[in-house]
Amino acid sequence: MAGLLLRRLGAMVLVLLFLVVVVFSLERISPTDPVHSFLGANASKAAIAAERHKLGYDRPIVVQYVSYVRDLLRGNLQMSLRTRRPVATDLVAYLPATAELALFSLVLAAVLGGILGVTTAARFKGAGLFRFLTLSGASAPQFLLAELGILLFYRRLHWLPATGRSSLANAPRGPTRFITVDTLLHGNIHGFTDAIGHLILPGLCIALIPAVSIGRVLRSSLVSTMRTDYVRTARSKGLREVVVLWRHAMRNSIGPALSMGGLQVGLMFAGVVVVEEIFGWPGIGLYTYQAIPRSDFPAIAGITLVLGAGYVLVNTAVDILQAVADPRIAL
Amino acid sequence: MATAEPYLPPSVGTLRTRVVFKVRRRRRSSAAIGDRVAIGLLVAITMMAFATPLLAPYKPNLIAGDAFARPSMHFLLGTDEVGRDILSRVLFGLRTSWFASLEVIASGVTIGGGIGLVAGTAGGWIDDVLMRITDIFLALPGPILAIAVVAALGPSLQHTLIAVAIVWWPFYSRIVRGEVKALAARPHVEAARLAGAGRVRLALRHLLPGAIPATVVTASLDVGNLVLTLAILSFLGLGAPSPAPELGAMVARGLNYLLQEWWVPIMPGLAVMFLAFVANLAGDGIRDLLGMA
Repeated sequence: MAGLLLRRLGAMVLVLLFLVVVVFSLERISPTDPVHSFLGANASKAAIAAERHKLGYDRPIVVQYVSYVRDLLRGNLQMSLRTRRPVATDLVAYLPATAELALFSLVLAAVLGGILGVTTAARFKGAGLFRFLTLSGASAPQFLLAELGILLFYRRLHWLPATGRSSLANAPRGPTRFITVDTLLHGNIHGFTDAIGHLILPGLCIALIPAVSIGRVLRSSLVSTMRTDYVRTARSKGLREVVVLWRHAMRNSIGPALSMGGLQVGLMFAGVVVVEEIFGWPGIGLYTYQAIPRSDFPAIAGITLVLGAGYVLVNTAVDILQAVADPRIAL
Repeated sequence: MATAEPYLPPSVGTLRTRVVFKVRRRRRSSAAIGDRVAIGLLVAITMMAFATPLLAPYKPNLIAGDAFARPSMHFLLGTDEVGRDILSRVLFGLRTSWFASLEVIASGVTIGGGIGLVAGTAGGWIDDVLMRITDIFLALPGPILAIAVVAALGPSLQHTLIAVAIVWWPFYSRIVRGEVKALAARPHVEAARLAGAGRVRLALRHLLPGAIPATVVTASLDVGNLVLTLAILSFLGLGAPSPAPELGAMVARGLNYLLQEWWVPIMPGLAVMFLAFVANLAGDGIRDLLGMA
């Protein structure tokens, strides 16, 4: 176990360093000159040269890379060309909203996927119709789900809000900056239910595709586990089917579903960007959406590093969890 | 049932023998009908994509009538905020999406397959190095990396395709390498080697054909995801510039009209879903047809 942990963490560091190399090289090949964009078109030659020197763009590429990594480790991510603030400051401001939404969606995807997998592992009538439904779920783009959700639950039924994180005028701003947690800490039950209400629609839009993938993988591994000898033994001991499924089959079947969940996080992040823009969710996705048309590459580099690191962390955690669930796995 | 069928070990046989075998066996079962309908639909979409300029009732970028006309016999899907026919724009958008997805899949299969074939055939340190590179790419979030690449190159359809192609190959490299490794241990490869076949001949004639079924199945199950990913990038403004009829971009620009003129942003979204759905259905069909459940 200790060896596995060390190997996985070592691989993680390597991948993160490679991610930094990729972002760094993209920044160099990008045709938009950050100095030009920052100073504007009318800057004098002397001002440009001074800014170049200040930012270190006149030094050798290897020196630039080393100082880039050093800056990153200090949490220093250049200046945004659009907001004129340090990218790191912007990200810190936007990250909690995205983290709250992403975690909520991840839990939702895991729960929905679990239900989907377990209920369909048992054979039942109408499985063909079900296949049709899950395939539709896997084919629905997040923006369409968001639009239909807004039209149905906001415009027609008035059940759920369509924009923002909270309708409170003075939503609490600390200590965790997750509105759901903060309202609870302040004992504001109304604020809590309101925040959950704001999470439901965007969360569902992000969670649906991963949920279907997780469900399909879980189903197929459950089906093959339920055919094994030890499950037959458990059944012949007279255990109820539910107990067999949960205590005996689940633990051996969860592995593939876990790794599918980890892999889906990449597509989920892309979904977060789309959904945040549609629901006006003040997070990293909205920040990305605003950065793209302005060619604000420092901001996009920061976003890529943060989301990429998040993805790598989640998948490392998934690998370790898999080994915990099934000790036969020695990666 | 299962014992009555002739035994065919998994992952043996070329694409042709497998399809022929499977189709012959499946002809009697009704389950295959849905699969064939789905594949037929996908072929129809491909043909429609070629014929779009003939099929579209109006020019996609020209004003055809009043702005915000409701869907009617005249404009089947309505008109948008400047009065362009949405049906024509959606048809051209479908064509762009579908061809773009095929291009990216083809490049992913070629690059990934090439790397996997070299790694699997060569073995040793070449295998190690290539697979470590593949693993590192697999460990990064593809869609996010693609956004960064297009943002760095500057938004355009060509750059989007390049960006997605850069992140879409590692999976194929793993699959082809795995298949090739498994095949290399089989007697027919041993026989070819003893008969004096060179490395290149061995790889191309004896190993590559066996890896094709798994690759085709993976690719066909993958196209749906690719359609969605490309639509997301287009939605984010990373595709062709403004008047171009791209489905994702049409949704993004029509979003302001969602609550009043719902058809403007909904129709292109439905088109994306339709394309992804048919692709996924056909992917399942191809998998069943090749017997790789």
